[in-house]
Amino acid sequence: MTTQPPTGMVLNIQHFCTHDGPGIRTNVFLKFCSLRCKWCSNPESIHPKSELAYNPSKCIGTKECGLCLKACPESAIFTVDPDVKVRINWDLCTNCGKCVPACPPQALSLFGHEMTVEEVLDAVEQDGTFYRESGGGITVSGGECLLQPDFTAALLAGAHERGINTAIETAGNVPWAFMEKVLPHVDTVLHDHKLTDPVRHKKWTGVDNARILANFKKAYETFPEKTFIARTPLIPGVNDDEEHIRSVLAFIRPHKNVVDYELLPYFRFGESKYGFLGRVYELADFQPPTPESLARLRAIIDEAFGRTGSQQPEPE
Amino acid sequence: MTTQPKRIAIANGGGFVPGLNAVVTGAARAAQELGWELVGIRDGFDGLLHPDRYPAGGLVPLSAPLVEHLSGTAGPVLGAGARLDPFHVRTVTADNSVEETDRSDALLQALRKEAFNAVIAIVDTHALNVVFKLSRKGLRAVCVPKSAENQIAATHLSFGFNSVLSFAVDMLDRARQAAEAVGKIGVVEVLGEHAGWLALQAGTAVCADAILIPEIPYDLAKVAEKLRKKPQAGRPYGLVVVAEGAAPTAGQLATLPVNPVRASLSPGATGHEGGQVIDPSGQVAATVASQLQRLTDQETYPLTLGALVKAGAPTAVDRQLGLAYGAAAVRALQEGQAGVLIAFQPPELKFVPLVEAINKIRTVPGDSVFIQAARSLGISLGD
Repeated sequence: MTTQPPTGMVLNIQHFCTHDGPGIRTNVFLKFCSLRCKWCSNPESIHPKSELAYNPSKCIGTKECGLCLKACPESAIFTVDPDVKVRINWDLCTNCGKCVPACPPQALSLFGHEMTVEEVLDAVEQDGTFYRESGGGITVSGGECLLQPDFTAALLAGAHERGINTAIETAGNVPWAFMEKVLPHVDTVLHDHKLTDPVRHKKWTGVDNARILANFKKAYETFPEKTFIARTPLIPGVNDDEEHIRSVLAFIRPHKNVVDYELLPYFRFGESKYGFLGRVYELADFQPPTPESLARLRAIIDEAFGRTGSQQPEPE
Repeated sequence: MTTQPKRIAIANGGGFVPGLNAVVTGAARAAQELGWELVGIRDGFDGLLHPDRYPAGGLVPLSAPLVEHLSGTAGPVLGAGARLDPFHVRTVTADNSVEETDRSDALLQALRKEAFNAVIAIVDTHALNVVFKLSRKGLRAVCVPKSAENQIAATHLSFGFNSVLSFAVDMLDRARQAAEAVGKIGVVEVLGEHAGWLALQAGTAVCADAILIPEIPYDLAKVAEKLRKKPQAGRPYGLVVVAEGAAPTAGQLATLPVNPVRASLSPGATGHEGGQVIDPSGQVAATVASQLQRLTDQETYPLTLGALVKAGAPTAVDRQLGLAYGAAAVRALQEGQAGVLIAFQPPELKFVPLVEAINKIRTVPGDSVFIQAARSLGISLGD
């Protein structure tokens, strides 16, 4: 009897990343997340299924085309005079995707595609030369990559078979069984500590952090041979306070396999995730942290790790 | 013979605009005249879907004494939260994950359990779609159109617009006086992502120097040309009114430098509750102000009225209109109508099937009398 190899819902494969694990890496972003962080920089990764995306600048208009109007079974595509470009009624759209092949200029597309482990690994291995020379590899991210545990485990095991270094980015809000399944195949675990206070964690991410902290503690103890790097996406006015940084340090420092604690200034997301798309401008309510506050908080971390100066790059 | 409802619910979807309480009053009084009972649902449909969140109960019995003095007031009698969409209800699952679930069946069941025969829904364009979907699932609903931008196409006038227009005019007058006092050009952004009625009508009322609306792509060089003449005429200040959806002619710098990935996504996908929806408020004013400053060498300042103008008590027009809409909704139910929107098509209030009301936006036509008036007054429309 043969079992079908697991497939995963992949949002995007991004090459030449330098921020998420050692060396030059290929980031594989999976869809599906169990948190709703207010500052989320890639909301297209939140939901588990494919979602329609519409880029009006590519639409050639109903005078010359209009094929999508006929293709949509939900009457979710319409026009408004005097504009000839179509509009989407997002309330009626069911993300069925029937309009996508009907759109010649590809103004309509789907975020998220079902891919096999082999398909992803073949795409990742195009960068093999860079991995070997830089000590890089594959980083599986999301969304929350641990919410597709069978696929992520198979993907990372396959990467190891091909001699590729592996890392994951996780927020840890998953059943322990998922983490336990994937972590044996991971070299470096980049894991988020978004907020310490459980009430504030719930306020800003949708859930409290009890399970997250329990998972991380258990992971440190169950997988002593793995490298863990704690991270905090630094959101001014939310978690850029000394108290949070010190409480994370208190949580991680007893565990020698947690080798570092990185602060990710809020604006960096736009730069790393969306830079390839051309224009980057996040209209969020959050401001990036100031260089001064970042330096102050990093100094606390350096002191805790017994370093004399900041080992982390300054924001550009 | 159609069975007439005896116990009906009223819910508000999509936030506050002036006149909301007039609609509630109109429906309540008309229902009372028929011997029916009208009950309000708090915070969209939340009062029914999450009654546990309301210590005093999720329903508001709209008795005669309660609505006696309600029509001209601004307080949210149905609650300040107005998420009407039961198809995407954010919940935390037993295993501590956040997900959006379809609670539409639970809502319909709760309505049956409370013995509601029908629902009067006060809707913006988003809530109109939601009620359309619910009516396809069997909900007996009548919609009342609410729009600060007057963009619901089926009706000539949504309630709320007249009050918003009056407040906007008042604030534009003040903005111009402030601009005059400091010798600058004020660039004031008003609501109107898809339709420019508010900018056009308010801007014309105060004789602004320029009005930029979504329907007419703008060329700021032409606006600047007009503004440059003002100092020569001894009036070194100006007032430009922009709708938040105003956009430049092709080839010019885009007004909204948004992330194209995020901009292409459904607001539902990005999550209204998550705060991940692009909020365009203020961006057009800031962009137009900085570009005009460069083009005119006169100091400019951006100002965004935004949702401010949606607050406050209704004007006489919206009180009358709201009462009439509410009463007409009850009349529609009395006549056996369901799945309709009450539409003001002068001189009548008509019942328009929801399927004909969705997917339409009431934009400003090129030959509108308001456009003609603005041009006659020497107001630049950016073209």
